Amino acid sequence: MQRLKKATLTGICAQMASHGWSEEEINELVDPRLGLITGFQDLLNELEQLRKIDLGTTPPAMSVQGADRHE
Amino acid sequence: MSNNIAFQSVKNLRSMLQRGEVTPVELVDTFAERIERHNPQSKAFITTTIDTAREQASRLSRGDLNGSSFAGIPYASKDLFDVQGVRTSAGSRAFHDRIAKKDAFAIAKLRAAQAVSLGKTNLHEFAYGATGENEVYGTAVNAYDPTRLAGGSSSGSAAAVAFGLVPAALGTDTGGSVRAPAALNGLVGFKPTIGRVPTSGVVPYCWTLDHVGLMTRTIADCADLLTIVSGYDPSDPASVNRTVENYPEALDQDISGLRVGIPSNFYYERADDEILEALERVKEYLVANGAKLMPVTFPDMEHSRTVSLTVQMPEALSAHSAYLQERGDLYSADFRAGLALGQCILAEHYVKAKRFIEIYRQQTNRLFDQVDLILTPATPEIAQKVGTVKVTRNGVNEAIGNAITRFTTFFNMTGHPALAMPCAMHTQGLPIALQLVGRYFDEMTVLRAAHAIERSDQFSIPLPKVDV
Repeated sequence: MQRLKKATLTGICAQMASHGWSEEEINELVDPRLGLITGFQDLLNELEQLRKIDLGTTPPAMSVQGADRHE
Repeated sequence: MSNNIAFQSVKNLRSMLQRGEVTPVELVDTFAERIERHNPQSKAFITTTIDTAREQASRLSRGDLNGSSFAGIPYASKDLFDVQGVRTSAGSRAFHDRIAKKDAFAIAKLRAAQAVSLGKTNLHEFAYGATGENEVYGTAVNAYDPTRLAGGSSSGSAAAVAFGLVPAALGTDTGGSVRAPAALNGLVGFKPTIGRVPTSGVVPYCWTLDHVGLMTRTIADCADLLTIVSGYDPSDPASVNRTVENYPEALDQDISGLRVGIPSNFYYERADDEILEALERVKEYLVANGAKLMPVTFPDMEHSRTVSLTVQMPEALSAHSAYLQERGDLYSADFRAGLALGQCILAEHYVKAKRFIEIYRQQTNRLFDQVDLILTPATPEIAQKVGTVKVTRNGVNEAIGNAITRFTTFFNMTGHPALAMPCAMHTQGLPIALQLVGRYFDEMTVLRAAHAIERSDQFSIPLPKVDV
């Protein structure tokens, strides 16, 4: 996976259905300075690790009905 | 009268009301005077509703005061809860003109119980962060040391109770936003099972992780408050239709034979030594009172924060989509950046994170085949200075928001009931807290164990010196 570039995000936001993010906000994703919980590149790296983990046929968690079922 | 009332439990205030030692209006006036005196420093409240509160209190008869455990008792709610006719700011400029048309579920239940709302408390904008820093309404500070953070996102609710401005408050908890500030301020903070208290009428941050939470001075008050605000609301898809138990009934049962799980990974690593020492004393106490400690191993925690964030930000973006288009310029920069991140997370990532959550639930439930409760520290750190960005522990640098909620976030994903309560004072003069986690809908056992710990003098902590 290549390192995230600002042009990639700018292109995604301009060419796909998206809110209108300012240049500063796109910058913040590429080079975080506001104390985001996690920088986007770090998050993408972790998501790539998660993507490689095989969860078999496990479905997505439901809401409380799931909690009830697990009793 | 102020000091006799300010730091009393709800139970004691109720006794004083019933004996006629104080009237509901005098309670309102006493706390109103304290809010006026301490709010400039504490930044606990965004909006006060003292006139309405006084009017409501004046209508209560002696008979009304026997109606519920919170009849005539002042309280506050995080400014995400709708209170009819009052602005719900969500701590944001974007909601500066949002007046609630009806009460949130929990507020309606408290109104029916004749509790008296004194106002709406401060928070991290839209409950986005764990520090409680708010550029619009100021940053709520810690009652034990006002140079330190109250913690968040329910920062104002914690500060309001800790400064003696109300005896109880409601907050919301998506990753620890009730338990963490309660822990840092020496209070009881309880996030019940997901679905136990409907979130209807609460401004959402992340629908599938949001919980209504309670903050009180004592476990008994927490049990009373939980009995009032629990219930079923079919308009909330997460709400569960099951009987509300009489939680105070659990409190006086002993803990002999209780199996308490002690995590062998993650929860007792990379934390302040004094916090870990305090937890050792709690373990010894539990054993001395007949509980059995059993090691448990949690599922892989390495990715749990990423999983939580991957669910949070797209849901938050979806919740705010309409407002962003209409008044996006009124949002603060840090939350907008977080929402932009939500825009760029792929759908596959979101679904994968939800599948991880299902695994977490299954694995955590299996732990409860072996134990009745799990005991952890509530936070790995004590309250940090206002303005702190990173915390370093054992050579690891961590964003302060991550550090504050490192031990709480997981149970929002699994949905298990989790309670934070004080258990010691740090040598720096700040509270240390433990966390008890129970089976789904077994709030009774969590409260029973918490009450047993609270009964021991060795875990009581001094009140903050806010009036000197």
